[in-house]
Amino acid sequence: MKDNKIQIYKTRTNILLSVFIFILILVIARFFYLQIIQGNELKELREKNINAFEYIYPKRGRILSKDGIVLAEDRKVFSLAIDIEQKPSEQSINKLADLFYEKINVENLRIKVENSIRFRKSEIVIEKLTQEDLAKYLVGGSDITGFSVIEGYERQYNPHPSIFHVLGHMGFINSSDVNYFSPRINDYSAKLWSKVGKSGLERVYEEKLQGQHGKRFFQRNARGDRRVITSTSPFKEGEELSISINFKAQKLAYDLMNERKGSIVVIDLLDFSIPVAISTPSISANDLRDISSLQYQDLLNDPARPLFNRAFMGLYPPASTIKPLLTIFALNNKYTNWEETIFDDGFFRFEEEERVFNAWREGGHGVTDLEKALVESSNPFFMNLSIRYEKDIFVEFLKSSSFGSKLCEDCYPHQFSPLIDDDWKYKNFGKELYKGDFINLGVGQGYMLTTPLHLSLISGILAKRGEYELPYLVAKKQNKLSISEDLTIEDWNKLHSSLIDVIYSPNGTGYRINAGELKLAGKSGTAQVVDINSREEYDEVRTNPLLRDHAIFIGFAPYDNPRYSIAVIVENGESGGRVAGPIAKEVLEGLLNDS
Amino acid sequence: MILNFRNSIIFLSLITIITMGSLTIYSVTSIDINSFLRFLLVNIFAILLVVLLFNQINLNRIFSFGWLLFLLNILLVLSVEIFGNEINGSKRWLDFGFLSLQPSEFMKITYALFVTQYLRFYGFKFSKFRTIFLLSVLFISALPIIAQPDLGTGLVYVFLGLMFLFICGMHRYYFIAMGIFGILLSPLIYSLGLTSYQKGRIISWFSSDQTLTEKWNILQSEISIGSGGLVGEGFLNSKQNEFNFLPEADTDFIFSIFAEQFGFIGVFSILIMLGCFIVMTVLLTMTERRLTSDLSPYYIGTYCTFVIGFSFLLNILMVSGMIPVVGLPLPFFTKGGSSLLCFSIMLGLIFTSRGFLK
Repeated sequence: MKDNKIQIYKTRTNILLSVFIFILILVIARFFYLQIIQGNELKELREKNINAFEYIYPKRGRILSKDGIVLAEDRKVFSLAIDIEQKPSEQSINKLADLFYEKINVENLRIKVENSIRFRKSEIVIEKLTQEDLAKYLVGGSDITGFSVIEGYERQYNPHPSIFHVLGHMGFINSSDVNYFSPRINDYSAKLWSKVGKSGLERVYEEKLQGQHGKRFFQRNARGDRRVITSTSPFKEGEELSISINFKAQKLAYDLMNERKGSIVVIDLLDFSIPVAISTPSISANDLRDISSLQYQDLLNDPARPLFNRAFMGLYPPASTIKPLLTIFALNNKYTNWEETIFDDGFFRFEEEERVFNAWREGGHGVTDLEKALVESSNPFFMNLSIRYEKDIFVEFLKSSSFGSKLCEDCYPHQFSPLIDDDWKYKNFGKELYKGDFINLGVGQGYMLTTPLHLSLISGILAKRGEYELPYLVAKKQNKLSISEDLTIEDWNKLHSSLIDVIYSPNGTGYRINAGELKLAGKSGTAQVVDINSREEYDEVRTNPLLRDHAIFIGFAPYDNPRYSIAVIVENGESGGRVAGPIAKEVLEGLLNDS
Repeated sequence: MILNFRNSIIFLSLITIITMGSLTIYSVTSIDINSFLRFLLVNIFAILLVVLLFNQINLNRIFSFGWLLFLLNILLVLSVEIFGNEINGSKRWLDFGFLSLQPSEFMKITYALFVTQYLRFYGFKFSKFRTIFLLSVLFISALPIIAQPDLGTGLVYVFLGLMFLFICGMHRYYFIAMGIFGILLSPLIYSLGLTSYQKGRIISWFSSDQTLTEKWNILQSEISIGSGGLVGEGFLNSKQNEFNFLPEADTDFIFSIFAEQFGFIGVFSILIMLGCFIVMTVLLTMTERRLTSDLSPYYIGTYCTFVIGFSFLLNILMVSGMIPVVGLPLPFFTKGGSSLLCFSIMLGLIFTSRGFLK
């Protein structure tokens, strides 16, 4: 009995001992696996636990105008933030609220502090401290604890609204920005907490302006409290950007528009840079930076579209201002010559389709040759020419005049003037181009649409006798272009003298500009907003400002040695010669007197 | 004291384990060398005191108070409900001012003493009634612990209690029957008997979702262990501890900190020491020439040795992610009065039963 008990005791102890040794071996194997086989992997995880980094954002580059005015720069701003490492005391909260009673609500501050401590995330209490605020805090807040003044940068723009569209604006990055910048900017995570250029030069030259961000490496514990800053990687400030805009002329041009909708674009014909590009109405870039999303919605819904850059995006029928360009085409392809005359009775009858087109002047211009058709702007003359155009070479000519292609690499956003060919019409109307379409195209109406930038360039093409380059704001792209047709020197001279007569001959549509000493050559145009078939309709249109015609003027000066080309569009301005022309004259005078 | 080769090994292993435990506690809690010495002294002093105290008492005396001690222990566990301190949503501790005790820790000792006293009377013969009676007492006395709620300690208590009955010679059919019942009833116990917190721990152990807190704790523990590599980061160089990534670093998860500092070599050495201590103690007890008709001292001695051994292994299985987190102390490592006192008493019982201090 006793032996039996001892036997059971020994057997069972041996069983437990075996189980113990088995588990012991299992544990050793487990630790061998964790420490030897997986050791490096787990150690890496530990380093990830502890080591973190944050980005250091450099100062963004300044943007300067050609005449040396600072248009945009990063300014240091100070903000008051909650210091989560030393929780603000109730006393400090009350004291701070007293000190800035006009900016802080004590209840809100208390909630902010609570959340900030709970989520371990510092929050801004007062954004952008003024000098007075800063002084007040440093003097009166000496015994306030738990808050700290932090530094940051803010983009400060020249407040004049003329410059907004060219410069563009900044905003937080989104997926479409990522697509846009890819692959030029690769470290997107760095951008997550900073702003990027959303439009204009801020967007096009993002890479250059932003500089190179640095990293600050630090160690943190499980709660996220920072312990030691271990190292920082170097960062580089953004590059300065010098742009072709002449700010003085830009301001003048904007002010001349006098709140009317429209656009002015000037091209410097020496190098095809753009000294003036305005779109009205506009806003101050600083205002756009500071507004709420609700106010931003209001701006987007504003019928005057102040955020829309008409200079590079607005599509307008060029109307009569296209006639000089088409004259080159018609002369070179022998559709007409300087001798041919027609009798302009104010109508053009298109027999094939039994349609009658009204011209702008009642009674017409009488016997009209090419020169008179240009100076007095005869529609029937050019309509008569346009039914002779051959589709393929016409399209080829438009293409060589930069229809359907990007005009300016650093203008953003940018819209090209559509190239009107069979493909275009199929896509939009499901039909090919008819002869009748050319009658409208020939006088710059119908499907023909151009941007103000393109019109200014067309004016430059006329001034430089067919040779041209693509315009730019910052970086010139060496790219000499020319239109596909070329005239003899005589033809060019006659074309130029016709454009001079537009301004200086008493019959000229631009005579009322009183260009005087300016040596201006140009062509006015009046683009119909609605089709008008009778006088009665015309009267009705006159009473509704939004249905009035757009006033257009293109020109260049001085005509004997062209320096600047210009395009002016005043929406619903009615008369190119009387409304748009004088603006062009003043802008060009301003530019020429300056240089 | 007989200081032969085998006894020397046992003492050396034990002293090494206690010293490493104190060193690790010191590295977790303080950077002050005085506090380390104080801690080491308290540890060794407490153990010596208890061991010597037990040596002065006749084991028969202790056995004769078995049922009284057990009853007192149960009352203390119940009184926690009234006087206890609540920590982490569960009441386990009794605060005596200088010492905070967790009465449930001592149940595994007092139950064994109670069983010994009871069975000695019957010459350790397990009748059907006595078996069922002892099992019922075990399960019922586990209920207040589980209700605290402290499922981990409760389950370990039941497991160790069964182990003691196993050593004492309870018929194996009961173990087989309980095993089958346990498996069959486990879904019912899971759905009815567990709080959502306890369910969460079990679910998280099977889940692969790394965002769960329990899973995160285990991951951090494994990171700690793995970072030690072969030779470890060196004493006082646990980064996981320095940057607070390991929760409960001074109690349940202390072995991860040890592993990070001393590497696989340190872990392996400690486990070998543990193995030596357990195996040699058990073998010495078993091969005792003076085995008499009263086996109770050997039952108690063997039991206490295995309690120390299995507690150690269970804790390490837990921190290395092989079993769910159940909140088990690591003998001689975990900072805590009850754990230290409990394992000291066990050492006292082991040495007294072996009689090798005589």
